[in-house]
Amino acid sequence: MQGGMTILDPVTRPTEPTAIEKLGRYFICDAVPTCAVAAGDAVLVGFGDGQVRIFRPDLPMQELPAHHGTVLCMARHGAGVLTGGDDGRLLRVSTDGELTELAGFGNRWLDCVATARNGTWAASVDKTAHIRDAEGRAHALDHPSTVGGLAFDRKGERLAVAHYGGVTLWTRGRRDWKPTSLKWAGSHVGVTWSPDNRFIVTTMQENALHGWRLRDKADMRMSGYPAKVKSMGWVGKLPFLASSGAQEAICWPFDGATGPMGKSPLTLCDDGGALTTAVAALPGHDGLLAGFENGVVLFSELDPVAQPRVIKRRSGAAITHLVVTPDSGWMLAAAEDGLVLWAPLGQTGS
Amino acid sequence: MQDQIPVTVLTGFLGAGKTTLLNRILTENHGLKFAVIINEFGETGIDNDLVTQADEEVFEMNNGCICCTVRGDLIRIIGGLMKRKGLDGILIETTGLADPAPVAQTFYVDADIAARTRLDAILTVADAVNLSTHLDESHEAAEQIAFADIVLLNKTDLVDADALTAVEARLRAINPTARIIRTARCDVDLDQILCLKAFELERVLEIEPDFLTDDHAHEHDDAVTSISLHSDVPMNPDAFQTWFSMLLRTKGQDLLRSKGIIDMAGEDQRYVIQGVHMLMDGSLLGPWPEGKKRETKLVFIGRNLEGMGLREGFEACKAA
Repeated sequence: MQGGMTILDPVTRPTEPTAIEKLGRYFICDAVPTCAVAAGDAVLVGFGDGQVRIFRPDLPMQELPAHHGTVLCMARHGAGVLTGGDDGRLLRVSTDGELTELAGFGNRWLDCVATARNGTWAASVDKTAHIRDAEGRAHALDHPSTVGGLAFDRKGERLAVAHYGGVTLWTRGRRDWKPTSLKWAGSHVGVTWSPDNRFIVTTMQENALHGWRLRDKADMRMSGYPAKVKSMGWVGKLPFLASSGAQEAICWPFDGATGPMGKSPLTLCDDGGALTTAVAALPGHDGLLAGFENGVVLFSELDPVAQPRVIKRRSGAAITHLVVTPDSGWMLAAAEDGLVLWAPLGQTGS
Repeated sequence: MQDQIPVTVLTGFLGAGKTTLLNRILTENHGLKFAVIINEFGETGIDNDLVTQADEEVFEMNNGCICCTVRGDLIRIIGGLMKRKGLDGILIETTGLADPAPVAQTFYVDADIAARTRLDAILTVADAVNLSTHLDESHEAAEQIAFADIVLLNKTDLVDADALTAVEARLRAINPTARIIRTARCDVDLDQILCLKAFELERVLEIEPDFLTDDHAHEHDDAVTSISLHSDVPMNPDAFQTWFSMLLRTKGQDLLRSKGIIDMAGEDQRYVIQGVHMLMDGSLLGPWPEGKKRETKLVFIGRNLEGMGLREGFEACKAA
């Protein structure tokens, strides 16, 4: 069904497939996508039916029964990914579909997983983050409430753990990991490091992001979203932190000493008031993709006067995941109803 | 999009019979696929991949509303369960010490949960033998009765008729609108307790609180009681909205549940409201039925109700 979707949207959008849709393929997966990560030129997507589906250029899509219940989380790990599920298992899945079980935690859910470039991984079950470092040493780090998000810094020396009341920042010592608290009232459900490791930003249960400048633990409130922020990503050279949850992609500037403090965000991509539900950077380019609650995906350069381009037309269900491969060669958009667009980006990024 | 999945909350004190009921729902052949969130494995002794354990984590929201506590564990777990397809319902078991308010509020406050699920009913299992003692000794027991849409009054075979009448009277004083089902060993038809839509505004129309037994003996100060208000005179819409929203804003912490059908002056439709603490649902729900009297009925369940001037405030809203 290459480029063959019939979508009627007489008001604002062409009903003809876009250039990207013509080059790509649509897949109908009968499951809810839950996580998606690029590894090399492949994108692996976890689903609510426990399957990991692997999308590669010029190869058929591969379906891999991975978890017994739902795939809950995924992180890039070398030439593959790690996945956690509500069957309590941590799996390694390679891009050619090879599956290895790394750990099992009984009947508790494995909610979050994070990896560092040196091979260290962390996986959370309830209030505990289990770390296995590159040398194979295991640590169990406990928190006051259930872990909402995990992220390593670029060197794998520090682990940020989001939970109710803030973030616990663990620093690797000679023998164990030492905690520092970053406090902010409320429930923190996701966490990311700025590419220069100077800032930590969390998504919250409230319609807001919260950030800390690590040098002095200065707080940064990024609020005003009409909906919960479900997706964020670092984009462009500056860089910006792009986020969903508003009528555009909200891009906070993280340059200079103060980051976004006292500045207004750049707002890109507008689709007639629909809310953004996913964002993704185009690595190596000053541009981003924004997915909307109506299934539309737009591309924009990081320029307030840029005209966004339609990548994917409206199809009904919200875009839950957008992934671009590290060389910006291919993109994947997954919608809540299981519709997946897998397409080469070609000239779009330049 | 997907239908909203009904969620039943099962509360009650340890030993009241919750586990018996839970086991029946998990094992009986009712043809429905229920995911069950329990607070302790072991209790059920059932190995089922649809059973998930949760720690009761109560989170305060940062919106300045002191009543807006939610259950973080439920947001996380229900969010995960929503990724599966084919679930007919979710059952949440709480401990006997759990406050039902954060559970109920989670379904109003979290946008994703509100979009994908609906609170179907709060079902409280009470033990006819020990309920009075529980009510005397703990805050939570009264709250669990106050929040209930259905009270399963269990172990009725172990008390005599007088004791049963006394315990039911005590239940009614706290919660005049809940349906009381008497059982011996939780032997109730499951279709009487599952998929009831008790939180839909339409169901408020069915409330028939007993307006006659209003004046019960003076209770100790923080006892949970109820007040039922009634009027044959229409309400002034502006006055009522002002009074009611002020009431929720200032007394919401003590108001556990409120329900009502309002006859607004100049309005052809029935205005129906339902609230949990400060959170309220209200809407016009169709014209008054042919041949049925237009009247206003309002029920409040909570603490310190006598001091809120509810009757005076209500009277003052009547259209002149």
